[in-house]
Amino acid sequence: MKNVKNVNYWQIDHKIKKIFEAKGVEVLTSKSAWEKHNWARKYFFKKPKEGYFIWIKKQTDLPLLTCISIATKNTEQELQNLLILEKNLNINLQGTCNAQKRDLSCGHKAQGKIILKESSTLKYEHIHSWGQKDIVEPNYEFLLEKNSKLDYTFKAFFTPKKLKINTQLFLFEGASCNLKILANCIQTEIEIKDTLRLVQKGAKGQIKLRLVGRKNSRISTHSQIVAEAESKGHLDCQGLLIDKNSTISLIPELICQSKDAQITHEASIGKISEEELNYLRQRGLSEEEAINLIVTGFLELGE
Amino acid sequence: MLLDIKNLKVRANEKEILRGINLQIKKGEIQALLGPNASGKSTLVQVILGNPKYQVTQGKIFFAGKEITKLLPEKRVKLGLALAWQTPPAVKGVKLSQLLEKISQRKDLQRFEEGKELLERETNVDFSGGEKKISELLQILALRPKLVIFDEIDSGLDLKKLEKVSKIIKKELAAKGVSVLLITHSGAILQFLKPKMTNVMVNGRVICKEKDFRKVLKTIKKYGYEKCKKCKLLAN
Repeated sequence: MKNVKNVNYWQIDHKIKKIFEAKGVEVLTSKSAWEKHNWARKYFFKKPKEGYFIWIKKQTDLPLLTCISIATKNTEQELQNLLILEKNLNINLQGTCNAQKRDLSCGHKAQGKIILKESSTLKYEHIHSWGQKDIVEPNYEFLLEKNSKLDYTFKAFFTPKKLKINTQLFLFEGASCNLKILANCIQTEIEIKDTLRLVQKGAKGQIKLRLVGRKNSRISTHSQIVAEAESKGHLDCQGLLIDKNSTISLIPELICQSKDAQITHEASIGKISEEELNYLRQRGLSEEEAINLIVTGFLELGE
Repeated sequence: MLLDIKNLKVRANEKEILRGINLQIKKGEIQALLGPNASGKSTLVQVILGNPKYQVTQGKIFFAGKEITKLLPEKRVKLGLALAWQTPPAVKGVKLSQLLEKISQRKDLQRFEEGKELLERETNVDFSGGEKKISELLQILALRPKLVIFDEIDSGLDLKKLEKVSKIIKKELAAKGVSVLLITHSGAILQFLKPKMTNVMVNGRVICKEKDFRKVLKTIKKYGYEKCKKCKLLAN
């Protein structure tokens, strides 16, 4: 973790390394929050053992940082995270979840709830970086109240053995969101399930997936937009298959329950162009360097 | 001899495209290779750079005293070979500045006014013809090559832009002892760079080598490549 000095919540294995509260921001372990704030209990799936509670009550211009790491072999984290952003605030959050070594055979399960109160804005970059034997399951639910805005990017550039991402977004009146999931899958089995629910009038959202399948990776996605009211949604899934031994399966689904809703989707899976690869090799890059650059560009386009 | 191609025969998709090419370029020399469409010019340059799509069935390529016929493209580049593509592919999501940083052996490329506005754009994405030439030129300069092959650098450029590009080639490459091979269909660039030798390629063979490029251009302009075929000044 580079910005240890400014990190607001830092956990290694099951131990809290640091909690730092910026002005107007309450940061607790979820376990303490369960004890301290009765009202918050309804947002937890069950009584939490570990994880963070962040309650942003006032505007803070510094980005908030969380870091949840695993440093010890065979560690199994079972987190419950809760973030509440009060009305009219505009916040940047960067969350990192990682393994400090590539061979820890660890597990990271996170159950998260993010609540954006009326007219608030959250820009959240969630970076995952794991070892080849790890099993990771982030399961997040976002509630976007009236006129709130979310820009959420989930990045996994060092993927674990198994990655199961479940993301659900509920958008109320006039709320908008942009969900991006970018993954460079190497020897990974990844299952993505994301649902964008346009619950009330004027809700607007987009899901963008950019997935790269390399070295025996199995990627399957099921992305769903459900329009319950007059609203707009768009789903954009793109896969890039690097080798013969990987597979990508993209399943987009649109469910329209309102005649005034507009929901659309596009999905494609492609391979690297031989011409582009040859061009970069003729610039002195090895085949692997050239592929990495093309992959970087592909994922960059998702941002 | 910097580049020495001996009796090179090449196939692609079961079709013979190059039928015994001989070509030699010395250090610091500018040469031209003219030929009609589909004569095999672009195939030849791709083979020199090691494009795996083509299969060398006979002959050898030597560069800087080393046989490179079976060498990987990136290793040829490391030896000092470089190619400016006629129609470079788009590298989506990768800014030209990122690519230059990745391949560059020099840090002073920012001083080229011509390419400044291209640096923050995705490489070759929606570039105009002229912009592609400048982008190619910047990448070539970044590689510090010993021999540069320009594939149809004069296509799609007006005379003024062509003169500008030629000036850069002269100042940054030729004047520094870098050899240049100009592949051209129209020959428009030759007046600015005055090659020491002009080769004419027809139907997969170099059928003419002539020191006076004006003479070759005049003949082609007047009679087309048919006259070159009949002339047979030099047969491989």
